[in-house]
Amino acid sequence: MPLFRKQWTAHEADEWTKEDFWACVFSSLSYVFLMIGLALCFLFPLWGILITLIGVVFVWLMYATIDPKLRQISSDYEIKQKEYLKNLDKIMKWEEQ
Amino acid sequence: MVVFTFWDWLWLILYIVVMVFSGVLFYTLGKRSESDFFLAGRGLPWWLPASSVYATHTATDTPIWMSGVIYQHGLAGIWYSFFAAWCAVSAYVSTRIFRRSLAYSQAEWQTLRFSGLGSELLRGWLAGWQIYMNMMILGWVGMAMGKVCHYAFGWQEWVGLVLFSSICAIYVLAAGYWGVVIADFQQGIVVFLGILIVSVWGVYEAGGPAGIVGRLSEMGQSWRLNPFHFTGWFTGDFPAAWFVTMLFIALLGGIGMGTTLDWYVEAQRIQSARSVRDASYSIWAGTALVLTRNSLWAACILGFFVLNPGIANLDDYEMAWFRVGFEMLPPGMVGFFFAAIVAIHLSTVASILNLGALYATRDLYQHYINPHASERRLVWVGRFSTLLVLLGSFLYGSMMQKNITEWLIFAIWIMAAGVWLPNVLQVIWWRFNSWGYLSSWIANLGLSWLVVWILPKAGVLPQLPDYAQFWLLMALGLVIYVPVTFLTRPDEMDHLVRYYVQSRPLGFWGPIKREAERRGLIRAVTEGV
Repeated sequence: MPLFRKQWTAHEADEWTKEDFWACVFSSLSYVFLMIGLALCFLFPLWGILITLIGVVFVWLMYATIDPKLRQISSDYEIKQKEYLKNLDKIMKWEEQ
Repeated sequence: MVVFTFWDWLWLILYIVVMVFSGVLFYTLGKRSESDFFLAGRGLPWWLPASSVYATHTATDTPIWMSGVIYQHGLAGIWYSFFAAWCAVSAYVSTRIFRRSLAYSQAEWQTLRFSGLGSELLRGWLAGWQIYMNMMILGWVGMAMGKVCHYAFGWQEWVGLVLFSSICAIYVLAAGYWGVVIADFQQGIVVFLGILIVSVWGVYEAGGPAGIVGRLSEMGQSWRLNPFHFTGWFTGDFPAAWFVTMLFIALLGGIGMGTTLDWYVEAQRIQSARSVRDASYSIWAGTALVLTRNSLWAACILGFFVLNPGIANLDDYEMAWFRVGFEMLPPGMVGFFFAAIVAIHLSTVASILNLGALYATRDLYQHYINPHASERRLVWVGRFSTLLVLLGSFLYGSMMQKNITEWLIFAIWIMAAGVWLPNVLQVIWWRFNSWGYLSSWIANLGLSWLVVWILPKAGVLPQLPDYAQFWLLMALGLVIYVPVTFLTRPDEMDHLVRYYVQSRPLGFWGPIKREAERRGLIRAVTEGV
């Protein structure tokens, strides 16, 4: 069984799960490693490249964790979007609160 | 004074013509509807809003600010820019929630999240505040451009402020957000190349990596290479307590909406993305570029320090990156460098002009004055509002002659301190209502000025470091808006259920979720957190 789910139904994807949490963790770590790593590339090239590469690994982990879920959320939501936009227009014109 | 050769002028003029022309090219798309003028029809692939996030947050004042903190604190100063990391969390939390709401602006979102009179008051307040803030941001960014032009060409500061913002207004007025986002894409490329070339050149001039490290060691300044060099837990001008506070604000802030000033810019880009997934990746990728850009600047400023140690005046060392470009690049490349500066400047000005106009058009004119206005009229009101924001920025810019960094720090985090937690609570807690949120804003406006300026001047309160001001303002605000929330009625259940079903927010929404399930609007799922 994979650590993170690859298949989601629309209802399941709407829930907040451990995949969302880990995507945020990997995303934050990737920012730290990419920012510090790239700066160090110009000062201590070997360390800089190594730290940058760790950052790239975190980017990949983030993508692998969250992308299947995001795809499902997006495809499901886009079906409903037209109707929601009509409601937004009604609220704008004070036809609905 | 910088002297331009023929090639320098050619680079610059060619660039400005191409950029304005490419923006104006989208005139036909921009004028189609309000949605096109402000959100590019909600149909952009992730990389276009991402390049706009990056280009917008690369402003003329940003290298001034980064030069200041890196020259002062060494590589550890790079953490000052890590506030942008709120997007690491936001990309997968608040971005997703906000994109599903479909609100054009954060002000509009208030009326979707909250109900009744309180929500309308919030919408009007946030719209007015954003118009004011965008004029102010344009003012300080414009003054930074004035400062650069004064340094490079000896022009009076108002010339740089007025000239380049006016050029930018041509394509913003013509094509709205379509012009902004297309120009941002090409400006983003020019800006990244400009920063890369100047920064690599600066490092090379300072002797390369080995030269910089060796010279710093000889000078007894090796601590400048340590990204975690703090002056103590609570002591000195760069304490670890500041670092911890910054991480807390930045990362947890990503759960909320409006926890930083940048949110309001990002909110527009989120809604312009063609899907929830595109919105998430645009915010993540745009900010990744912002942070890696800061790394290039940091290395370059350390090189500048090695060549020019001991500059005591903030106004002088804040210009470090610009000095590297103007003084070290070979003739013929200086024009390219200045073109990159123009790109840096215009990408920010364009976004902020269009954003200010969005709040004026959508949230004030259309919602409160003419709800049945035609699309054609709304586009024209958008253009008129753009012009007003531009003129307002000249006024504010002329009032900010000095202390750009001080203004920035005050605006970025002190002004946001008292509403930081309410900005999170409004996303994660169903019971937090419009009156609680409104009271937090009113309280913060008074408290932030009191804690930062008035009480220390009167001798009532010591001059606290900025991270301590943040915690104090957060605590003082809590005492006001939590009682207000519990003493007033919750928002209407129908309204909350509709918001919940559409946006599926994170956090403490149990009663609303159960009600939505009871009404058969959503299905209960057994797995999940």
